[in-house]
Amino acid sequence: MNTDSPIIEIQNLSRRYGKLDAVNDLSLTVRAGKCYGFFGRNGAGKTTTIKCLLNLLRPDSGSARVFGLDPRKHEVAVKSRLAYVPDMVAFYPWMTVAGTLEYLASFRKHWNEDIEADLIKRFQLNPKQKTSHLSKGQRTQLALIGAICPEPELLVLDEPTSGLDPIVRREFIETVIGAYQSGDPGRRTVFVSTHLISEFEGLIDEFTIIEQGRELLTMEADAARDRFRKIRARFAQPTTQLDLSGALNVKQSGREMEILTNGNAEPLLEKLKVRSPEELRCESLSLEEIFVASDILKKAKA
Amino acid sequence: MLLQIDFKSGKPVYLQLVDQIRYAAASGGLRTGEPLPSIRPLAEELRVNRNTVAKAYAELESQGVIETIPGKGCFLKESHSPFTKSARQKILTKEIDEAVVAAHHLQVDRDAFLALVKERLDSFERKVKEKSDND
Repeated sequence: MNTDSPIIEIQNLSRRYGKLDAVNDLSLTVRAGKCYGFFGRNGAGKTTTIKCLLNLLRPDSGSARVFGLDPRKHEVAVKSRLAYVPDMVAFYPWMTVAGTLEYLASFRKHWNEDIEADLIKRFQLNPKQKTSHLSKGQRTQLALIGAICPEPELLVLDEPTSGLDPIVRREFIETVIGAYQSGDPGRRTVFVSTHLISEFEGLIDEFTIIEQGRELLTMEADAARDRFRKIRARFAQPTTQLDLSGALNVKQSGREMEILTNGNAEPLLEKLKVRSPEELRCESLSLEEIFVASDILKKAKA
Repeated sequence: MLLQIDFKSGKPVYLQLVDQIRYAAASGGLRTGEPLPSIRPLAEELRVNRNTVAKAYAELESQGVIETIPGKGCFLKESHSPFTKSARQKILTKEIDEAVVAAHHLQVDRDAFLALVKERLDSFERKVKEKSDND
């Protein structure tokens, strides 16, 4: 396969539930070897989109292609090359941890037993334990082992860390970075939907923010952190008549100001400097702050 | 050598790693022939994408700071710079310009800025000297 061809290609995808547009004309492209973040609030359409990728739902219009294939027509070919960790993990309750992994492995052409043993040890899971006796965190860990051992080309994670404690979340992410990318990172693609963005910050190469089924912003993470900045200024006296047009948002409280900028931090800093602020600081927005500011971005776009 | 990432600095993550490793190499935190951390454990520890660490190492290699020995890892090279003097000055000019712009925004005036540069240079040279004295 041509390495330049995208791993996931979604074009003008729409899916309605009755009158509700869950996904509305969404397009995005995930290239091989990238870690792609898919950010949105609850109900934004993230899971619906992922289900269309996996042929668990049929799109009303538009297309979703995985590895260049249509998942509706080539379901087995697509699914044998990816692994999926859903937000709600369910296993057969009567099976043990070891039995569940054996069962999952039976569907796979390839299964890395070394990674399996490593991860069971790392997560301190008891192979003889019944899955019905596992905690939510342990269930997610088991699902992650099941997703990583086949060493698939594409790992799809849907809200994988919500409801987990901070230590389990940290281990989860380290496992994705370490065990999953260990073979050939250039061919291991991750597509992760989440609203717990700060934890995935370092992992994300590129991201899309989705709101009410529509794409709000798609950018590379480094470019986004470069473009969206926050300026804090404090003056000796409350300032008035300061022309800050072009700023995304201005918050003022007495002598202090907080200004969000969209690629135009420099000229705004110049304007502020003329007023001799007591303090002037400029920092990048983290991906989470960009996500939180997306209401403002939407206004800027409109 | 301990590395740290700041997502709020506005600098691409891989460049932060490049800068910190170059600083460690210049100040004796990392010595010639000493191995750099392997990509995977470093990526896990910093919780960044492996590609990011790999990109930083590739950049350092192209700058001639480190070398990769297949099967053994990455090592700090002998400290002769592969660049000509003018090329080195050009790289430094860019970095100085950044500091000059920052000083301008923070309203640090010319004398204070130059004094600070001098102070930092002295501190850097003291550190290098301490390291070599300890050897």
